[in-house]
Amino acid sequence: MNELVLTLGWLGIYAPMALGAAASAIGCSIAGMASIGAMTETEGGYGRFVGVSAFPSTMVIYGIVIMFTLNRDVTPENAGGLFGIGILSGIALMYCGIWQGRACAAAINATKEKPEIFGLSLAPAAIIEGFGVFAFVFALVISAGIS
Amino acid sequence: MSDPDAYIALISSLPGSERLFIAKQPPLSRLRLDRRLTALTAEDARVLKVLEHALNWSDYDMDVTDAQAIERCKEALGDIPQSTLRELFVERLDLRTAVAALRLRKQGAGPPAGTYGMGRWARHIPANWTDPTFKLDGPMPWIKEAKQLLDAGDPMGLERLLLSVSQKQLKRHASRHYFDFEAVAIYVLIWNIFDRWAQSNAQDAAKRFEHLAQQAMAGAAEIGFDGASA
Repeated sequence: MNELVLTLGWLGIYAPMALGAAASAIGCSIAGMASIGAMTETEGGYGRFVGVSAFPSTMVIYGIVIMFTLNRDVTPENAGGLFGIGILSGIALMYCGIWQGRACAAAINATKEKPEIFGLSLAPAAIIEGFGVFAFVFALVISAGIS
Repeated sequence: MSDPDAYIALISSLPGSERLFIAKQPPLSRLRLDRRLTALTAEDARVLKVLEHALNWSDYDMDVTDAQAIERCKEALGDIPQSTLRELFVERLDLRTAVAALRLRKQGAGPPAGTYGMGRWARHIPANWTDPTFKLDGPMPWIKEAKQLLDAGDPMGLERLLLSVSQKQLKRHASRHYFDFEAVAIYVLIWNIFDRWAQSNAQDAAKRFEHLAQQAMAGAAEIGFDGASA
């Protein structure tokens, strides 16, 4: 039984990193495809498209920081806490990354038609980033209570 | 339900459908559109072909009968798996059925026996043949204006109205699809409307050219051989 609990603890430590990486990979690929499509239609502003498509890469950074914060000796007492925080923060980061990629793709698609709305079109992606930051910060806060 | 992210690069590589109607020059030719559509999977390309084949007037022979057209539409409906595309296809058939009924009645024909055309109102229209709008004002608020244009003998105005209604229907469906196959199919159908629209403008231009040419010829007749006006 203890082995299973300890395994879950280790799973919780690595989950934010793994799910964050998956989130960033999927999000960046979604936004990246939009930027490549937009490049074939527009005459300039390619750098902006590529820059926007890199937005979801922050999720893996949050995941790495959470992983290092959770990283400690896993015991039967703290394994449950590590598992809960790690898995749930990882899932939150994954959803944020994927949907941020879609928001960035929509922003790129809109910006190619109306470059003047570039800043405003990024608002949804920025709001989603805020939700990712919530998941990140409060994972750090809660993890301080685990022995 | 299609993969919501299936055609992100393809959709992003197409000019916005709004720009099609305001640009002085067509921002996307059919040749370029077809080149972009090579990104579709074989199955999606087949569905799009079926949809266009059933909706484009240019794909119908001049002597096609009602039964043949209805059969083609029924086959197409069975071949389209996406519910959104089926819905917009039926909406277009409803529109065409209602307009065809208006034209038939204007020619003095009596109510068809049983059903007429295809779609949700195929039985309703013959049953309400004597009503000016077939009692379809609610589901088809444009039908009153269509009847007025038909009665006034303004085919160009009617064509514009129908293209505008069709475009609005497509835009309504487009608001729920961003990067999936439905979004691509709706874009192509809007492009087809733009194409028809541009052709109707060309016809306008041809009429104006003919009018100016006649004026010029009339003026030329008044010019004497020595170059001075008679």
